[in-house]
Amino acid sequence: MAYKDADCRKTPKKKKKKKTNMASLSSDEWRAICDKFTNAQNLTDVESRNDPENDLFRSKYKARELLREIYCSLKSFEAGEGDEDGGAESSEQRAAEPPVDGQREDGFGEGFSGDSPAGLRAAKLGAVEYYLGVNHVDTEELSAGQEHLMNCMKQLGRCRVTSENVSLFIHVRNQLGILWAGRDETETAQGFLETAESIYQRYMKEDGSPPTDMTEYFTSEEKLPTHQERTKRFELAYTHTMYYLAQVYQNLGETERAATYCHTTLQRQLQLNQFSPMEWALNAATLSQYYITKGRYMEGRHCLSAATVISGLAGEAPSEAVAQESETESDRREQLRQKRAEIARCWIKYCLNVLQDSKKLLEDNIGELDTDRQEELKRARRQEEEDEEKGRKSALLFGSEDTFDSIASLEEKVCCLSPLDFTEARGVFLVGQNYVKQAKEYFQMDGYVTDHIEILQDHSALFRGLAFFEEDLERRCKMHKRRVDMLEPICNDLNAQYYLLIRRQLMFELAEIYNEMMDLKLTLANRQADTQSLDNHTIKKFNSLCSASAKYFQMFLDSLCSPEGKVPEHLEEEVLRPALVARFRVARLHSRLISPLLSAQLDNLNKSLENYKYVAEYCETHPEAAAAVETELELSKEMVGLLPLKINRLKAKMATNN
Amino acid sequence: MAGASVKVAVRVRPFNSREIGKESKCIIQMSGNTTTIINPKQAKDNKSFNFDYSYWSHTTPEDSNYASQMKVYKDIGEEMLLHAFEGYNVCIFAYGQTGAGKSYTMMGKQDVKDQQGIIPLLCEDIFVKISDNTDNSMSYSVEVSYMEIYCERVRDLLNPKNKGNLRVREHPLMGPYVEDLSKLAVTSYNDIQDLMDSGNKARTVAATNMNETSSRSHAVFNIIFTQKRHDADTDNTSEKVSKISLVDLAGSERADSTGAKGTRLKEGANINKSLTTLGKVISALAEVNKKKKKVESFIPYRDSVLTWLLRENLGGNSRTAMVAALSPADINYDETLSTLRYADRAKQIRCNAVINEDPNNRLVRELKDEVSRLKDLLYAQGLGDIIETYRATGADIEGLKYVSDCKNNNNKDQAVNQRGDLSTVTNAMTGMSPSPSLSALSSRAGSITSLHDRIMFSPGSEEAIERLKVNTG
Repeated sequence: MAYKDADCRKTPKKKKKKKTNMASLSSDEWRAICDKFTNAQNLTDVESRNDPENDLFRSKYKARELLREIYCSLKSFEAGEGDEDGGAESSEQRAAEPPVDGQREDGFGEGFSGDSPAGLRAAKLGAVEYYLGVNHVDTEELSAGQEHLMNCMKQLGRCRVTSENVSLFIHVRNQLGILWAGRDETETAQGFLETAESIYQRYMKEDGSPPTDMTEYFTSEEKLPTHQERTKRFELAYTHTMYYLAQVYQNLGETERAATYCHTTLQRQLQLNQFSPMEWALNAATLSQYYITKGRYMEGRHCLSAATVISGLAGEAPSEAVAQESETESDRREQLRQKRAEIARCWIKYCLNVLQDSKKLLEDNIGELDTDRQEELKRARRQEEEDEEKGRKSALLFGSEDTFDSIASLEEKVCCLSPLDFTEARGVFLVGQNYVKQAKEYFQMDGYVTDHIEILQDHSALFRGLAFFEEDLERRCKMHKRRVDMLEPICNDLNAQYYLLIRRQLMFELAEIYNEMMDLKLTLANRQADTQSLDNHTIKKFNSLCSASAKYFQMFLDSLCSPEGKVPEHLEEEVLRPALVARFRVARLHSRLISPLLSAQLDNLNKSLENYKYVAEYCETHPEAAAAVETELELSKEMVGLLPLKINRLKAKMATNN
Repeated sequence: MAGASVKVAVRVRPFNSREIGKESKCIIQMSGNTTTIINPKQAKDNKSFNFDYSYWSHTTPEDSNYASQMKVYKDIGEEMLLHAFEGYNVCIFAYGQTGAGKSYTMMGKQDVKDQQGIIPLLCEDIFVKISDNTDNSMSYSVEVSYMEIYCERVRDLLNPKNKGNLRVREHPLMGPYVEDLSKLAVTSYNDIQDLMDSGNKARTVAATNMNETSSRSHAVFNIIFTQKRHDADTDNTSEKVSKISLVDLAGSERADSTGAKGTRLKEGANINKSLTTLGKVISALAEVNKKKKKVESFIPYRDSVLTWLLRENLGGNSRTAMVAALSPADINYDETLSTLRYADRAKQIRCNAVINEDPNNRLVRELKDEVSRLKDLLYAQGLGDIIETYRATGADIEGLKYVSDCKNNNNKDQAVNQRGDLSTVTNAMTGMSPSPSLSALSSRAGSITSLHDRIMFSPGSEEAIERLKVNTG
């Protein structure tokens, strides 16, 4: 079955001189059509919301009848003309192959001028077809819907794009885009939508006057919309085109393009003043997270600054006192506070990622600051700054006249380039810490345990990022101590049953922090060893940090056991590596404890051996685990081989001493 | 095995009268645990999914393959109840299109024998198990609550007078809870049944009043089960509390949170029409990236109550099962396929609580050093072959004995320091008494670990030094 509409769209040249159009309609008849149309619109947009569940499409079916009547009226007054534009009635056929909306047929070629009588007539018939198409699609009769929409395309195919019909050109393609996307024919959908995009762009370039809205075809003169209203509706249709393209690209896996189109959608909502501030702000903040994970901090920062500024337009949250008066106010307070806190959390992630990325750039193979690299990057900085300036000019910017400056000034408060020294890192840290404070005001421990802790974990991670840049080891150690202070009490107090997974994260992190502090103490001790004697105090400190680290790794391991305390035979995938790494590190920590007593030394070495053995043996019985802990396994095996040597020597020594 | 993944079952029901009226064809096939769905438009296009259980309840009990209410309970309900007695929180989710049989599986027909669903059977079983208990030191208490979640609002079904929107919260010690939700103590299965009945009525009444149907709300029935053990000797009482949550999720075809009528959850690459869903699209975009790269990001929740509910049941030490109800009819192909896909994904549902590990490069390097030091030491002693033997056999006592038998003079001399290329090794072996006078340490070692190693490698290293000196000197 050939798809006949495809041919129809290629026949715009068949010009026929037509003198008459709707002139044969009396004004009463015309008014009746207009009333029917208004009625149908009302049924579709308003009444249908109240349809009962068991007759879901009642109003839409009624609207369909009215639209059909309008169509017949238009046709009957045109009897004897336009015989090739029939087909709506006979259209039971389905497309055998999808029509492709090619770029060449974007309606700027030859054909009726939109304002000619024939052009107007085609547009009117096309519009009714369009509404019938949408109606059928809405009532889940996709094939019939498609038929009507393609009839509309056919009508338009005979016309050139002008301000009288350009809106319909866009609308019908939007609908066809949705339709084909729903059938998993994403490329077909893409074709229609991209054509809509280029029609809009060309129209705006070549004409740009506020175009006729489709509803105007059936609106009596006194009710015609203003220029402003026309523009608004037209631009909104194009905003939808952008939004649909975003989804099409996402479905095609082109996330980069999808993000750009989401960005454009947001930008247009703002420009055209078609948005609700909080919703818009939250969307922009969410988009920032896309950019952040891509390492595109300039865009991320821009989205966040805009989010903060626009969220301000939603007004102050009602005070607690006001909120207690009514549920509406209390809901509003809740909503505003929550969403602002969520935007703050998006900012925290921004600062965190900027710090962490920069750490990755600057660290050497054992995680210390590589000063050569630092110098090199500082030299390259000038170029980066220039690029940023350029990028800023070419990027898609949010903002209207009154918000633009506030957005820009917020952006200036935090850098979007990787910080290269402590001062720069501290700047990012402080901004992040400030948002931590804001977010915690809403997400308090009492009521929002999970969220509150996630924020604390971010705060801790901000400190970790900053500590990397701190050259003074004492101060660095203090930063880690701050992390311990914020996480340790929570980890120990939380309900272990309900917050198991969070506690595991906390245990692991605490173990790592103590380990880090231990290493720092050791480095400091090593530096001092030249001139002063190391006292028992230092050894004690070292041992206590070492034990604390081992304790938390052990707690983590214990949390994997059954309620009866049985060690799991099989480690679930998401804890496999952490569990084996924890064993490995416990082993190492035990071998590092300093003790003057040979028996204690022996004890520690035995514990160490036991844990190395566990790693080696687990990977032997579960060969699939080996890949997750390659290095650790190799070293564990080595140690399983070598530690007995030390142990036996120690034993021998003990024997001699006795 | 805390954090175990979700157990997933699917179940297909018989045709209903509407489907029979439309002369529907059955598009679901089951074989073992595999469920296959056939595209009615393209018979060759069938898709298969594996689940923990695939229940064939399309026919009648006469069919030998027929999965009865009891069978479903035995597989899923009993296991979950067992976990509850062990002290785990457990949860059973029911999911699927409205009318696909969720309520039949969860509730069943109350008064008909053999037709009761998981919830009543499980409640009955709790009390049977409690009364079976002969241990006098044990005592039990059972409380229930029943709530409904609709459009981000939570209602108390056991206290319908409480009209307000209840807030879901988390307490650091008590765990997640719903503020002001009534919790009623029950002592028998009949009590539970009565409360459930009245709750169900409250749900229906509200639905008529507000012109909304239950198919668009989630219903959560909680049983809080406390086991107390009294130790007569010490007069101590220990308590084990577990929560059993039975969740009837809103019809999957209403998963569109905009609540727009006629917008159904279809398979494939649907486009959201309304700009109100822009947030969802952007979230999905950010989510894709989050999963791909291990980068920190925060994606604001759009469904906070549901998120809370899932977090409660997946984020703690709990056991979770999900039953997806399927319609057998060709006319429901899209929705049934979408249910199957959802159930398939549910197998991988875990709470997003990844352990973020700091890179341990430094540790690895230190340890590698230690390994090579120990090896060098052995080779230096001419014992390289022993290491090989040792590693080959797993435990060569002989070789180790030999090492420990090497009793040479203790020599605390630091002469070995002259050997620059082996300085770490030698540092490690610089004779140290176990109670070190740390100030006496050589400070030349640059490595962070050196101080430590000088201390730790001291035991028993003395005897090797002499040999080393002989070999290299």
